[in-house]
Amino acid sequence: MSANFIKISVAVILGVALGILYGWVIDPVQFTDLTPNLLREDYRADYVLMIAEAYHSEINADLAARRLGVLTSEAPAILVSQTLEYAQSNRFSQSEIEGLQELLSAMQIYQPQNQAAP
Amino acid sequence: MKRRADFNVIIYIALALLAGLGVGLAYSWLISPVTYTDANPALLRVDFKDQYRAVVAASYAATHDLPRARARLQLLGDADLIGELSAQAQRMLAAGEPFENAQPLAQLAADLQQGFASIQATNPPANPPATELANSLATETPIIPTLPLTETSFPEIATAEPTLVFEQTPLIPQNPLVTASPRPTVTTQPGISKPFTLVGQDTVCDPSLKNGLLQVILMDNRRKQPSGMEIIVTWDQGEDRFFTGFKPELGNGYADFIMQAETIYSVRIVEGGSFIPNIAAPTCTAADGSAYLGGLLLTFQQS
Repeated sequence: MSANFIKISVAVILGVALGILYGWVIDPVQFTDLTPNLLREDYRADYVLMIAEAYHSEINADLAARRLGVLTSEAPAILVSQTLEYAQSNRFSQSEIEGLQELLSAMQIYQPQNQAAP
Repeated sequence: MKRRADFNVIIYIALALLAGLGVGLAYSWLISPVTYTDANPALLRVDFKDQYRAVVAASYAATHDLPRARARLQLLGDADLIGELSAQAQRMLAAGEPFENAQPLAQLAADLQQGFASIQATNPPANPPATELANSLATETPIIPTLPLTETSFPEIATAEPTLVFEQTPLIPQNPLVTASPRPTVTTQPGISKPFTLVGQDTVCDPSLKNGLLQVILMDNRRKQPSGMEIIVTWDQGEDRFFTGFKPELGNGYADFIMQAETIYSVRIVEGGSFIPNIAAPTCTAADGSAYLGGLLLTFQQS
């Protein structure tokens, strides 16, 4: 009886292990509808860089802030600041860094239009 | 008797294995599935892909770096980059967004279609960088203007080498910075002022096309098709506005509109003021003898 119990227990454990192996490694859940906050850091940095490039031409802080808002719920300036650090540590070009700095300056003083200071 | 007991044990072990497998799968698929923290843009939800595309187009409108824009769009995993851009631009217009919002997408689609940037950057940066990358792609980008050219002394905006490698690899360090001198470049003249005149009005009886399809093709004085040209169609009960360039696969100067039966339309090209009254969908006869609403092809040429 004791031997059978051990065999069954081992079978259960083996089954669980196989199930987890299959579900995590062999055929993991495929996500296809992700949100931008899950993007890898370099993709996030490139997305912010694109916004900076567009801002340089459009000079529209509200539009830039709305675009940045897709990536994070934090203040836009924090996101741009993090991206700027990433850009500096990953040797972005000088013009790209200047573009990010320009966007950061704009976001640091940006006030949402519906929350204008009195 | 013992054989039956052994058989029962095997059955129990098999059932235990299956139960364990079920628990394992439930845990790995439902309770604690693989979490994505380093996703790529191809996995984004459709609306976020639209947002991503819009930002790529806005960036392109500022930098006119076509290879980089293409590389960025390819991250989304779209099978047809141009088609997706055009479709999104049309969705935006259909949703009532202003043309200015959709125009960068249409422009990028048109430029991808023709393979080069149709407009070069003419505004120098607010704070021009003192240095540029020596191997800037700007020197490689062909400048093939579609509009009359003038020589200017604006410094060319450097198009930086793509910073990111888009195949799931880390960033590549860029080359050392070197000083580059501003060089003169050619710039396009804003706007097209000369009027368009109607040079062709053809009935199109093609059952494979939509009924009542009014097709408009514009050609400028260099016989190139300009995108972004506004066309206004009016009839007794309304008015509609549309633009060339939203179906670059049919030409940058192409635009279309669906006419209704027994309705008289007027077509006006906003730029240049060309006005064509009394436009109506013709009646065509199918191979089986039945009648259907045909289409019209209006061809305008800038004088």
